[in-house]
Amino acid sequence: METARARGRLRSSGKARPEWRTARLSLRVGQALERAAVYSFLLAVAASTVGPFLIMVSVSLTHNIRFITFPIKLIPNPVTLENFQTLFSKTMALRWLWNSFFVASVSTLGGVVTSTMAGYAFARGQFWGRSLIFTLFLGILMMPSTALIVPQFVVLSRLHLVNTYAALIGPWFASIFGTFLMRQQYLGIPRDYDDAAIVDGANLWQVYYKVLLPQLKPAMATLAVLRFMGNWNDFLYPLVVTSKANMRTLTVGLGTVARSGGDAGLDMAGAVVGFLPTFFLFLLAQRYLIQGITLTGLKG
Amino acid sequence: MGVASQRRRFLRKLKSSLPWYPFIFINIVVFVVFNFVPWISMLQISFQETDLLSFRKFVGLGNYLALFQDKLLGVALSNTFLYALMYVPPTAAFSLFVAILVNRKIFGAHIFRAAYFLPNITSISVICLVFLRFLSPRPDAPANYLLGLLGIPPQRFLVSVEQALPSLARLGLWESFGYYMLIWLAGLQGIPSELYDAALVDGASGWRLHRYVTIPLLRPTAAFILVVSTIGALQVFGSIYIMTGGGPVYATTTVVYYIYQQAFILGKFGFSSTISILLFLIILAITYLQGRYLRFGEEVY
Repeated sequence: METARARGRLRSSGKARPEWRTARLSLRVGQALERAAVYSFLLAVAASTVGPFLIMVSVSLTHNIRFITFPIKLIPNPVTLENFQTLFSKTMALRWLWNSFFVASVSTLGGVVTSTMAGYAFARGQFWGRSLIFTLFLGILMMPSTALIVPQFVVLSRLHLVNTYAALIGPWFASIFGTFLMRQQYLGIPRDYDDAAIVDGANLWQVYYKVLLPQLKPAMATLAVLRFMGNWNDFLYPLVVTSKANMRTLTVGLGTVARSGGDAGLDMAGAVVGFLPTFFLFLLAQRYLIQGITLTGLKG
Repeated sequence: MGVASQRRRFLRKLKSSLPWYPFIFINIVVFVVFNFVPWISMLQISFQETDLLSFRKFVGLGNYLALFQDKLLGVALSNTFLYALMYVPPTAAFSLFVAILVNRKIFGAHIFRAAYFLPNITSISVICLVFLRFLSPRPDAPANYLLGLLGIPPQRFLVSVEQALPSLARLGLWESFGYYMLIWLAGLQGIPSELYDAALVDGASGWRLHRYVTIPLLRPTAAFILVVSTIGALQVFGSIYIMTGGGPVYATTTVVYYIYQQAFILGKFGFSSTISILLFLIILAITYLQGRYLRFGEEVY
C-alpha cells in the first residue's frame, strides 16, 4: 500500500530515473526512519499525559509515603489501601463525593430535559418573543462566565441560597448550548412526524414526548456526558457559592486542601477518588464525548 | 369592523403562542435568576462600596476611577496577558502538530488520541494535587529528576517569581492540548482528499503539502481555536487558586484571581464588580478583534 503510493508519487513527479530501484529502497528506509521518529514522539507525549496518573495511583497505594521522589517503583510493595481508609474515615472526602454525585446527576438530568423542551419550542413553535429570547440566549452563550461570578454570589446571598444544593444546581438546570444543540436536532426531523401525530389528535406535549424525543437519544447522550463532566470538573462557581466544608463538591474540596502539603499517599488517594468517576465515564462514553466536541467545538 | 378583526387575530396569535411557553419556562427562570438579575446587580453595585453585610455606600464613579489607580490591577492585567501569550500560541501550534501526526493511518492512533485527551477530562483539582508534588523544588521530585537526566540543574518552578507563571502556562498546555487536537482533527478530516491528490500531482510532498494545502484550509479551525483558547486563558483561575494562591509576591495574580480576592477575601464587592465589567469588556474587545482579523466563521473554499 505504502510502496504503491510512493511509486505513484515517483512516477507522477516524472522522475523515473534508471536508479529507480535504489530510489525506492532509500525511500523505504527514509519512511521507516520517519515512522520510527513519529512513533517515539507520540509515545513520549502519551507517557507525559498518562504517566502522572499512573504515578498518582501507585503512590495512593503506597504505605506511609510523605513525598513523591524519583526514581519510583510503579508497583508498590506492599500494596495497601490504608490511604483510602484514612481518606474516608478522617476527612470529608466521602461527603464531598456524595455532594458531587448528587449535584452532577441532578444538574445533568435537569439540563438535558430542559434543553430538549426548549429546543422543541425554538425549532417548531411560533410564539411571541421567540426571536428576541433566542437572540438573548445566543448573547449569553458568547459571554465569559467568570465576569458574572461576583454578582451571581450577590444575588444568591440575597436569596439566602449560599451553601445550598439549589445554588450548586441552579445555573446547570438549563443549558443554552444544549438548547441550541437540541434545536438543531429537531430541525433535522421532518415536520411530517409532528403533523401526522397532530392529525391523530396528539397535543404538543405528546408530540414532544412520544414522537420526537425517542429520535433524539444520541444527542441526549452526548449532551449528558458533556454536562456531567462539565459539572463534575467545575471549580470557580461551586467554590464561590459554598463556604461550609460539608457543602463542597469533591473538585472544590480537593482544591481547597491541595496546598496543605500533608502526606503524599493521602493526597494521591483523594486525587484518585476525584479522577476515577470522569475517567470511567470517559471510557464508557468516549464516542459520545468526542462526537460532541468535534461536532460543536464546545464543552458543556 | 377593523378593530374586531384585529382583536380576533390577536386572540388567535395568543392562543397559538400560549402552549409553547411552558416548554421554555425553566430556561427563562434560570436565565433571569443567574444572568439577567446578576447583570443588573453588577452594574448597580459597581457604583457602591459594600461588603454586602454591614455597610453600603454610594460612591458614584469612584470604583471606575480606582481602576486607573490600582497598581495591583495593573500587575494582574499584565500577568493575564502574559499568561495568554505564553499559553495560546504554543498550545495551538503543539496541538496542530500532534493532530497532523495522529491523523495519519498509524497503528493505535485512537489510543494515542484517548491518551492525549485524558488530562482534559480530569478536574483541575486532581491535576493540581498531582503537579504540586511533581513540580516541587526538591531535586529528587519528578520534574527536577527528569530535568537532571538532561543535565539541567533543579528548578524552583511554582515558588519562583520568574518561573511560576510560565510553569502554570505549560501546565495549561499539558491539560488542554488534547482538546484542541480533537478540534484540529475535525478540521483536518474536513479537507477533501482530492486537494492532496492534486498537490501530489503538482510535485508537493511532506511538510510542503501541509504548508500549501493543510494550513490555508484550516484557517476557520485556527480562528476558532485561537478565539476559544484566548478567552479561556484570560479567565484562568483554578490552577492559580489551588497551586500558587496568586503568589509568590503577586507573580501569578491574574484578573479573575484578583476579582476573587477583592470580593471573597477582602469583601470589596463594589470594586470587584467594576473589575468584572472591565474583564467582560476586554474579552469582548479581544474576541471581536480576533474574529475580524481572522475572519472567524468564513468559508475558505
